[in-house]
Amino acid sequence: MTPERVVITGLGAISALGAGADANFAAALSGQSGIVPLQLPFERQRPAMPAAQIRGPLPDLIKRAEAPLFDRYALLGWAAASEALAQAGLSADADAVLRDSSGVFWGSGMGGAQTVEAGYVDLFVDGKDRVRPLSVVAGMNNAAASQIAMKCGFGGAVNNYSNACVSSAQAIGEAYRHIRHGYAERVLAGGSEALLTYGVVSAWDALRVLAPLDADHPQRSCRPFARGRGGLVLGEAGAAVMLESLTSAQARGATILAELVGYGASNDATHITKPDAGGQARAMRMALAQAGLAPEAIGYLNAHAAGTPAGDLAETESIKLVFGDAARQLMISSTKSMHGHTLGAAGALEFVLTVQALRARQVPPTAFLDDVDPECDLDYVPLTARDVPGLRVAMSNSFAFGGSNAALVVRDWS
Amino acid sequence: MTSFPTVAKLLAKSLDVPLDTIHPDTELEALGADSLTVIELIFDLEDEFDVKLGDERPKLVVVQDIADHIDIYLNKKAAVL
Repeated sequence: MTPERVVITGLGAISALGAGADANFAAALSGQSGIVPLQLPFERQRPAMPAAQIRGPLPDLIKRAEAPLFDRYALLGWAAASEALAQAGLSADADAVLRDSSGVFWGSGMGGAQTVEAGYVDLFVDGKDRVRPLSVVAGMNNAAASQIAMKCGFGGAVNNYSNACVSSAQAIGEAYRHIRHGYAERVLAGGSEALLTYGVVSAWDALRVLAPLDADHPQRSCRPFARGRGGLVLGEAGAAVMLESLTSAQARGATILAELVGYGASNDATHITKPDAGGQARAMRMALAQAGLAPEAIGYLNAHAAGTPAGDLAETESIKLVFGDAARQLMISSTKSMHGHTLGAAGALEFVLTVQALRARQVPPTAFLDDVDPECDLDYVPLTARDVPGLRVAMSNSFAFGGSNAALVVRDWS
Repeated sequence: MTSFPTVAKLLAKSLDVPLDTIHPDTELEALGADSLTVIELIFDLEDEFDVKLGDERPKLVVVQDIADHIDIYLNKKAAVL
């Protein structure tokens, strides 16, 4: 059986950069960040900590009776997923054929973290002897995936990936394989994360990987590839893509946005946190090989680059390993400088931005990169976006604690 | 004592429906209240009336069924006091 080609027919995103994929891309092109001083919802605070926090109410997309079932991460997930579904021209009242051949592949690092933490507060802080009745079904890691499937009426496989910061990249990549090998006609794939809670933020802080707040300019607190960069800035987001077999998209007359042509996955198998250029390179090479493309075919790479001293350097090295001389011509940027590190949602959010870059032929910059680390010596598209009329193929990298790496390759459709 | 007014008020709030659409004989299913909605509601009613329901699983079809179930515990509480 000839493998199916897999195309993208819908995009969705919500992050500190805004609500909606277009708003996110416009903000990313402008080089402005959504990073602010963190304000936690309850009494306990972590002062002087930056975060890519979504301020204000989320889109009003569920009934009030459903609220106890939807952790914030599931709300972010459905906001993104419903946008991708609508752009794809699909509705929630799926007919039987559509229902049976459509799935949801979703990624999240910590699932309903706010629900779980609220339960702990009830028990251990407030001294209650019980927690809210729906804590289990709102807090479980597959809650968002399941709610999205129910909302869409998608009755095919629903797979949940919890693999730290590659979770949603892996969800997209595995969904690509799922369609490619004929297990489904379409998969709504992506991820969401909302773990700006006192407990989770404290745990990250204790690991000493977070960037300090730039008190004068909070929005500049995350500075990938910069000299003296101080670490990552936590963020929250939801992002989704509607993946579809080319056969299905054409039969429906759907507008095709781009083609997903390669996915690579690997594990460093060396250290729980320390990145390994060799492991990263394996994922990128696998994605290129699947796409049948030489490294020089890639015009833009949305880097994982979270702003940690070791991570950005290792990725620079792994890019050189894979791209060789072509690394010098490659445009690389870290949009985390603007939307922060959205952990389990990061891969999907950055993939959505990568698809948009391809469609607009405009590459978003690495914001605030006015003082590059001399050891990071590639083209990181500093400060301002670039018009790239010849942009045809792009890659998005995601790497994770635990050593997992994922690379996605997307080609324009025009 | 009857808990119906409080049951109706909390149900209207959780389902986002007008209070005057909820009557004693209104079917829960017709209101869009499923088993999980009822579990949430009973949790909040326990807080509201400071009672703790047991593990019994009564058949709850109309709104008054919930109020009746709560009233049993309110009456027990009143008898103790």
